[in-house]
Amino acid sequence: MNALEFSGVTKRFGERTALRRVSFTLPEGSSLGLLGPNGAGKTTALRLLLGFTSPTEGSVRLAGKSPGDPDSRIGVAYLPESLKLPARLTVRRLLQLHGTLAGLSGAELEREVDESLELTGIADRARDRIGGLSKGLTQRVGFAQAFLGKPRLMFLDEPTSGLDPIGVRAARDWIQLARDRGCSILMSSHILSEVERVCDRIAIMNRGEIAASGDISQIVRPDENLEDAFVRVVGAA
Amino acid sequence: MRASASRVFRALLGEAINDAVRRRIVPAIAVVSLMSLMMVDGCTSCVAAPTIVQNGVPVEIPEVAGWTGMVIFAVLALWTMVLAGVLASDHLAEVLDDGTAPLVLSRPVSRANFVTARLGGVLVISLVTGIILLGGTAVLLVIRNGVSFGAAIGGGLACALGATVVASLAMSASLYLPRIATVMAVLVGVGTIASLNAIGMFSVELGGVAWAIDRFGPPLGTSVVTALSSWIAPTEVPTDPLEVWIRAVAWAVAGVSLLVVVFRTQDIGK
Repeated sequence: MNALEFSGVTKRFGERTALRRVSFTLPEGSSLGLLGPNGAGKTTALRLLLGFTSPTEGSVRLAGKSPGDPDSRIGVAYLPESLKLPARLTVRRLLQLHGTLAGLSGAELEREVDESLELTGIADRARDRIGGLSKGLTQRVGFAQAFLGKPRLMFLDEPTSGLDPIGVRAARDWIQLARDRGCSILMSSHILSEVERVCDRIAIMNRGEIAASGDISQIVRPDENLEDAFVRVVGAA
Repeated sequence: MRASASRVFRALLGEAINDAVRRRIVPAIAVVSLMSLMMVDGCTSCVAAPTIVQNGVPVEIPEVAGWTGMVIFAVLALWTMVLAGVLASDHLAEVLDDGTAPLVLSRPVSRANFVTARLGGVLVISLVTGIILLGGTAVLLVIRNGVSFGAAIGGGLACALGATVVASLAMSASLYLPRIATVMAVLVGVGTIASLNAIGMFSVELGGVAWAIDRFGPPLGTSVVTALSSWIAPTEVPTDPLEVWIRAVAWAVAGVSLLVVVFRTQDIGK
């Protein structure tokens, strides 16, 4: 069973073609890194998967359902690249809200909120307003909300953006923890080493197309590292 | 596991109300509302002469009070509708622009639920203001001038329906227009419709587009005046109350439906 399927998807915004006949799948429990230079179409792919926009051609399925169906997003967690959270809310209130939207209630909601706060190291900031947090702490809140409701699929768009080196290492541990819990991961990132450590497959996008995809060992030649392979694939496309 | 639609709606409505309460315009609304009530108090507390003569004909005091009350009530009802439109002009657009909405919409939340909760936040603030303004005015008029309180309840309901129409249309427009243009559209739209309603009911025979707007458009002014018609008896309001109420409800349903349809087709997080 695939956690998601992207079949022959083309997306045009007016005259501009953001994605051209893109296809990939993410089997349940696996992780896929979407790589590509700026404007390659990675964020557009994530927006299509979340139902924020519709494909011009082709089909997108989440757990076999159209992303336009709210049920397709049951058990889906999302951490956007430019994370914006309501400044007036306290950290705990935001997590309670997202826990509620994720289907949690009562004691289970409070327990999961506490667990997420502990996991991401922000339990002591639970009563602080989000507007007063640094970018790194806000990103931790983003991770905390993503862990609510025991997600089966995580979309991570530049997940370590704004984190300090300790935070980056912690984020890697959190993503690994999610994987250990059986969560499928789709991660978009510019940081190749991060993708290499977290994902077992990659898809390199360039100018709205998949330029290469497969296991990292299939794409990276014996005399290369991932960065060399990325430059070769993107440069050749 | 997915939360029930009603539970999701309640959670989102709570946030939408909290967002609306924190708007900078809300303290201004409170001050203007308080001043309006003080003006109404002044208007209804003056001691009138035993008789008023108009064109040589004596006019009964209750009739004058009824007309005065109706005009005050209708103006305050229209103000409440404008307020709903102004609040709606960025209550949805703001959370889309500042990027806080996409995270919510990445959850198993339907767009219809999200957008109606945002609309609900606007309407709660507007209608609380309306209840204070119109309720206070109605109580003063009932006590001092002896007009019917039941008619005031009807007028309040007409105001609520009108506010729903104005807010839902303003929210739909805000997805395409900058805020200032949406606010201008609200002011011009409510002003035009209310003026045509008043002209159509009490003076000139309308024609062309003006007639069509008055006859088939949202009855923002007509519905309030029709509800308060007993205040100005024996003068008759030349409307069919059933037709006006059906039109008011139909426009409210159509406005909210349009908003939901428009929002469903929107690209999120551009």
